Amino acid sequence: MSDVVPPEVRPKPAVPAKPPNVGAPSPSSPFPPQGLGVGGGGISAPPPSAIPVPIGSHGPSHGGSHGMGHGVGHGVSHAGSHSGSHSSSAGSTLLGYIGIDTIIEQMRKKTMKTGFDFNIMVVGHSGLGKSTLVNTLFKSQVSRRSAGWARDEKIPKTVEIKSVSHVIEEGGVKMKLTVVDTPGFGDQINNDNCWEPISKYINEQYEKFLKEEVNITRKKRIPDTRVHCCLYFISPTGHSLRQLDIEFMKRLSHSVNIIPIIAKSDTLTTEERQEFKQRVRKELEMSGIEFYPQKEFDEDMEDKSDNDKIREAMPFAVVGSDKEYQVNGKRVLGRKTAWGIVEVENPNHCEFAQLRDFLIRSHLQDLKEVTHNIHYETYRAKRLNENGGLHPISSTDTQESNL
Amino acid sequence: HIEEAGITEEYVGFATLPNQVHRKSVKKGFDFTLMVAGESGLGKSTLVNSLFLTDLHKDRKLLNAEERIRQTVEITKHTVDIEEKGVKLKLTIVDTPGFGDAVNNTEPITQYIDQQFEQYFRDESGLNRKNIQDNRVHCCLYFIPPFGHGLRPVDIEFMKALQDKVNVVPLIAKADCLTPLEIKKLKERLREEIDKYGIKIYQFPDCDSDEDEEFKQQDKDLKESTPFAVIGSNTVVEARGQRVRGRLYPWGIVEVENPSHCDFVKLRTMLIRTHMHDLKDITSDCHYENYRAQCIQNMTRSVFHSPLAPLSPPCVYPAPLQLRRMQQMLQKMQQQMHEQEL
Repeated sequence: MSDVVPPEVRPKPAVPAKPPNVGAPSPSSPFPPQGLGVGGGGISAPPPSAIPVPIGSHGPSHGGSHGMGHGVGHGVSHAGSHSGSHSSSAGSTLLGYIGIDTIIEQMRKKTMKTGFDFNIMVVGHSGLGKSTLVNTLFKSQVSRRSAGWARDEKIPKTVEIKSVSHVIEEGGVKMKLTVVDTPGFGDQINNDNCWEPISKYINEQYEKFLKEEVNITRKKRIPDTRVHCCLYFISPTGHSLRQLDIEFMKRLSHSVNIIPIIAKSDTLTTEERQEFKQRVRKELEMSGIEFYPQKEFDEDMEDKSDNDKIREAMPFAVVGSDKEYQVNGKRVLGRKTAWGIVEVENPNHCEFAQLRDFLIRSHLQDLKEVTHNIHYETYRAKRLNENGGLHPISSTDTQESNL
Repeated sequence: HIEEAGITEEYVGFATLPNQVHRKSVKKGFDFTLMVAGESGLGKSTLVNSLFLTDLHKDRKLLNAEERIRQTVEITKHTVDIEEKGVKLKLTIVDTPGFGDAVNNTEPITQYIDQQFEQYFRDESGLNRKNIQDNRVHCCLYFIPPFGHGLRPVDIEFMKALQDKVNVVPLIAKADCLTPLEIKKLKERLREEIDKYGIKIYQFPDCDSDEDEEFKQQDKDLKESTPFAVIGSNTVVEARGQRVRGRLYPWGIVEVENPSHCDFVKLRTMLIRTHMHDLKDITSDCHYENYRAQCIQNMTRSVFHSPLAPLSPPCVYPAPLQLRRMQQMLQKMQQQMHEQEL
């Protein structure tokens, strides 16, 4: 039995409800009703007993941050800082509520409209089930193999880069998923430098983005072809990492997010799997390979504790399948053998579900952000330092740029 | 909502993407810079206090007439952090005291806006972009006095000077001195004149077709009530059994948040609850990009034509001051990079 605690999926933040309908119209009479029972309801009623109270008398004093420059950035929590009589009670129109939290809803509407991009690269020698795994992850035929390529096509002599894009939709969210395949990796007799075409491809995407960014007239939304995540498939030998595995990950872990996984793990028993994982983790550590989620990018304690759990459980040992079988009355994805059915999404059988939750349900956005804020920035800084500076290029400029 | 369904579902799980995105934004917090412009005494500070339930100007000194004569337009900034339901907003109010009193009213303000763009451009082009602060002005509330019969020349000049640099939202100030009919007439007049003079004020984006009816109606109401006629108040009065922000007159109480009294609620809804994000987007995608494109074109022109010669006389290039600053910035950047290499 596996004694590895599955990593927690981050709890979904509560999406605030639509802002309450503001300002229900209520006509006010010029003479508010008397509350004191003084005299009868005569036409010339005495003036209302209202005493203007300066607002500044409630709650913590701001200390008036005026003048040039920035004010004291103290957090004034308005929801509770008004004196009791006008805190937002049910029904009364929002004396104490400004409505800033609705910006989240505004953002969400906008991002839903524009949609998301995600680019995933799969690397590993042929036959490790890369295409099947990606199809299983996204529950659609998104990999290159399914795009009509012959199953028995020849292994290329050098590493090729082939990318295929699909738009998939779920729950109103549209995602343009691009799967970048790398046939030929690790398949030659001499695998020297077979990472180079891959490294070149990754840098080319950064370069493309950079060029768009320094343009004079920029697109509103720069098309993002940068590789957000690289799934590296480790062969389930049960012994240790191959030299090629270490070389590849060492060289590329600083320019792309690498997630190592143990492929076709149904050849390993649970104990063998545990041992293999530990050995692999140790080797990765000794070689100084920082796979995603990298320790140095944990932003706060919450991130760190979430990510520590995930790092302990990596590399995930997975099995992929696009065939369904009946197990205990339910239809499951699995592989049928003479001795039983390997259920892909059963946490006791393999760690596919954990990989999927981690990759898609909790860290998808983070993968993009680390790519943009860290890997891309590293590339950009390097480019800016070359040739003494970056000159903006106009899209109509035919001169050679100074890059 | 998406439930965590059983083992075999067609559900992949990336529908949680918007939540993942927003989780980060909530952690980081938002910022918003609002500029208020208009003559003194039109209730700008009071309105800002009413909008954000703050009291930013407690200790300010009101100038007398003599002091005002010697005024130039100043730009003052107040920053306050507001948190509500876990969402943090860093709000910056840019005030323009002296506007209307000075001889040259518009230039200090356009210069300020450009400076923020320039700063952002520098940061964005620099090497360390991790924590760029966005001080660009996202919206400018322009206060039009209610006493006149439409736009005055200073109003037209100001709005036209700013229309390509910032989202301009004109308001009718101190609307409690007008009857509903007068307000209606004034609004019509203003809308006509804004059209006539080709003034580009902030336009509300169109509603999506898949929005619910309530939202669409709200959007329609908003569009039809511009320019908003507003009242602000720093005092709380008792009206109809409740404590509300308002102004107490012998003939009655004006309630700030009563939609039949003024458009304050509409302004607040638009500014904060429905269009804050759009205001920021337009600032960044249109106004800033225009500035940047202009800047770069000026830079490239000068670099290609005279890399070593001193800057040509001002009559040749537009905005020579800006240009020189840009060149200096580029040189400084390159110097920094060379120093880093050593």
